[in-house]
Amino acid sequence: VPCVSGDLPKPTNVAFISINMKNILQWNPPEGLQGMEVSYTVQYFIYGQKKWLNKSECRNISRTYCDLSAETSDYEHQYYAKVKAMWGTNCSKWAETGRFYPFLETQIGPPEVALTTDEKSISIVLTAPKKWKKNPEESSISMQQIYSNLKYNVSIYNTKSNRTWSQCVTNHTLVFSWLEPGTLYCVLVESFVPGPPRLTHPSERQCVSTLEDQTTALEVK
Amino acid sequence: GLRRCLISMNLHRVEESFRGIKTAIQAKDTFQNVTILSPSETLHGIKPLDVCCVTKNLLAFYVDRVFKDHQELNPQIMRKISSLANSFLYMQKTLQQCQNLCHCRQEATNATRIIHDNYDQLEVRSAAVKSLGELDVFLAWIDKHHRGTSAAS
Repeated sequence: VPCVSGDLPKPTNVAFISINMKNILQWNPPEGLQGMEVSYTVQYFIYGQKKWLNKSECRNISRTYCDLSAETSDYEHQYYAKVKAMWGTNCSKWAETGRFYPFLETQIGPPEVALTTDEKSISIVLTAPKKWKKNPEESSISMQQIYSNLKYNVSIYNTKSNRTWSQCVTNHTLVFSWLEPGTLYCVLVESFVPGPPRLTHPSERQCVSTLEDQTTALEVK
Repeated sequence: GLRRCLISMNLHRVEESFRGIKTAIQAKDTFQNVTILSPSETLHGIKPLDVCCVTKNLLAFYVDRVFKDHQELNPQIMRKISSLANSFLYMQKTLQQCQNLCHCRQEATNATRIIHDNYDQLEVRSAAVKSLGELDVFLAWIDKHHRGTSAAS
């Protein structure tokens, strides 16, 4: 049933939230309609193509987000998306995003972090975050393959002295040496790509203890 | 070799200037169904050997056509566009030091021709606005292909 367009206020703050190329369109309910049973319909547009396309899973939905990752997976293209609100036989005009360029706008998730210790050092092995993929069976694409200049900001915090070091690295293995034996250290890692500012997502904080000093341990015996 | 022919300038300031005008300029571009740079037909297929020539040709496209054809009333946007234009002149000067290395093969010439043809399809003011709005595509391409090497500057 066609609705009367323009009788409802438009959804607000329509924007893509993108992390590792998982591209979610999000919006806020129209002003003044919070709490009412409003439904939404989404369309998207590939810049340079001919027409707006429907996203069937996001027709007449009550939630205020729509996953457009599959539709926007070619990250070197640019896209628009729009959403309208519907309530009864009334609907709003479309609320449209700006031009969305996944290659420049996606945020980079944290790497996987593996730690091993010995008396005075901690070895860190990083695995680059993975690009979003449609099916788990698909082969994974590392964000490193997309951004060859991907870097990591590694922070290590000595819980005894409350001192923190940070180091910016491009390789995936590094060793922090000259640490104190028998001390708890906590590590945080962020991925980033030089260029346009992007929100960063630090890894979970991981803490490990360096081994006790073996020489003093022997003397005690 | 080609290494000397690449642009070493810090693109971040150029990208920052563009980000300052992106929303306003792209909002003026009402023809979403056409593009000027058409990256999948032009830039994405460029081989390393053709990077220098395509860069030189597109810098000239922006300097000689786009920045000249665009008319801007907003003084803040005008300042950012002037800054972009000056950066492009600097990049042109950098590449001029490599004339003997910047060979233009047919592939590079074809890619450039597509872009000029796209520009000519539109009314000149609309074409200029659209080209300015697509600067992020060109700058990302330059950044990707001119990275991590010492250059003539």
